[in-house]
Amino acid sequence: MLRTIKKYSRVYRHFVSTSIALGTSFRLHFVLLILMDLLFYFSSLASVSFIFDHVNQIGPWQRTEFMFFVCFMLAVDHLHMTFVSESFWELSNQIRTGSLDFVLLKPIGTVFHAFLRFIRPASALNIVVTWGLLIYYGQAIGIVWWQWILMPLLMTLSLTLLVTMEILVSCTMFLTIESFGINFLRMQLQQLARWPDFVYRIWARRILTFGLPVLLVGSAPVHWLLSPFEFKSMGFMFLAIIIMWVIIAPVWKLALNRYESASS
Amino acid sequence: MQAELRKWRSTFEVSWTNHLAYRLNFILLVFGPALVFFFIKYNLWKSIYSMPGITVLQGYDFEQMLQYQLLVLIVSLMAQGHNSMKLADDIRLGRISSYLIYPFSFFKFHTASFLAFQGIQVLICSFTICFLMITPLVTFSDFNSVVRGLFFASLVSFLWFQLQFLVGLLAFWLEETWILRVILQTTAQFLSGAILPLEFYPEMFVKFLDYTPFPYLTYIPIKIFQGDSINLVNASLILLFWSLLVYTINHLLFKRGVRLYTAAGM
Repeated sequence: MLRTIKKYSRVYRHFVSTSIALGTSFRLHFVLLILMDLLFYFSSLASVSFIFDHVNQIGPWQRTEFMFFVCFMLAVDHLHMTFVSESFWELSNQIRTGSLDFVLLKPIGTVFHAFLRFIRPASALNIVVTWGLLIYYGQAIGIVWWQWILMPLLMTLSLTLLVTMEILVSCTMFLTIESFGINFLRMQLQQLARWPDFVYRIWARRILTFGLPVLLVGSAPVHWLLSPFEFKSMGFMFLAIIIMWVIIAPVWKLALNRYESASS
Repeated sequence: MQAELRKWRSTFEVSWTNHLAYRLNFILLVFGPALVFFFIKYNLWKSIYSMPGITVLQGYDFEQMLQYQLLVLIVSLMAQGHNSMKLADDIRLGRISSYLIYPFSFFKFHTASFLAFQGIQVLICSFTICFLMITPLVTFSDFNSVVRGLFFASLVSFLWFQLQFLVGLLAFWLEETWILRVILQTTAQFLSGAILPLEFYPEMFVKFLDYTPFPYLTYIPIKIFQGDSINLVNASLILLFWSLLVYTINHLLFKRGVRLYTAAGM
């Protein structure tokens, strides 16, 4: 077990160093990526802020709680953009061109390589902004020290749930010839998760919590942070992560069986 | 003249087929995001208007807000679906060498391709409008407003095409242009009133937006669809001005860019 962890850590270190080398080769591209993320953060926060200029409350939350939720999701999104996003786009390209062959031939887990190969160093720099905003609004709603300590863990759980769902969606890429659009479908999951569960109508909320548990990504940890003695939604989140992880392996295997290795 | 028209027609037909070759991909790229965007906004506004004491916000009751968001869906489908991905790839991968020797220019080829895409979008929008007209979700003040709205949205699509063309042309200088496409999309969505009606924005901010083309991308077409007293001639002229400006920039950029072109992969 320890040997496997060591081996994968070594490989991941190489992923990071090659991604940094690649990411910093084109300086303008590097700067534009940072700008793109900042624009997205600004538009997300400003949209919610403009709504709260005209209403005092949405559902049970007032401005600060809602803004904290948005910041939490932006921080999760930041991790996603930095560590996994690029790999999903590359995967559709690899399936279409047949270059996934080279991944399949390597002596490491294909899921590990396919979804964690590319890192965006430019996005990583925006951690100052996302965590700055999170701390600002977290203090405004009275997040206490032990909750701050647990915050990275909560974000990791949110990211894990989101990514597992996205991996499952990405398996459908093997069923299509041009799978670029599947990435857009995947992005729609992120869009849905960016709003708290109570804004959705009851039937939509049920489907998106228990069917495709995308609303648990942000809502479960933030509800728990706001009411630490309410464990139900966090329990659902753990359960969803376990179920998803269990089904990833057989679904990925099935998907690989459909891989046609184009141009080989 | 006839020979020229034949070239346009052939390119239009080929592009039409290309766009529809991978139908699922096309739906996921163009229709999916707009529908999910609408779904989220429907839920959001429904939850806001269900709060006690909230019936009208900035002049919009829930029905009017729903109508606004449905029209955002129509306008975004009709006017902002096109992207310059293929154009940028043509430059980056050295495929424009063919256009440089063909008797049909790079610009004309991509314009014909855009028209084919737009033809599909007009069909989709017409079906959507017909569907909405038989449901109580949207009530158009009169048929004239729908025609005026469609006409203006078509003009918007040309400006959008020019902006996308501009982003695509930057592939002469940049390794990847997708970031600029996302920046354009995010900025346009936020500043054009696609997320919220502009009445919800701070007054000073809206005054500033009046000097930009952004309100003309979503907010103004919606107001025209709704039959508001917008001077169509004035609005069209402003849109034409912005389109011509971007067209001129594109023309100059292409001339400069071609000089840098290395025909990668040749």
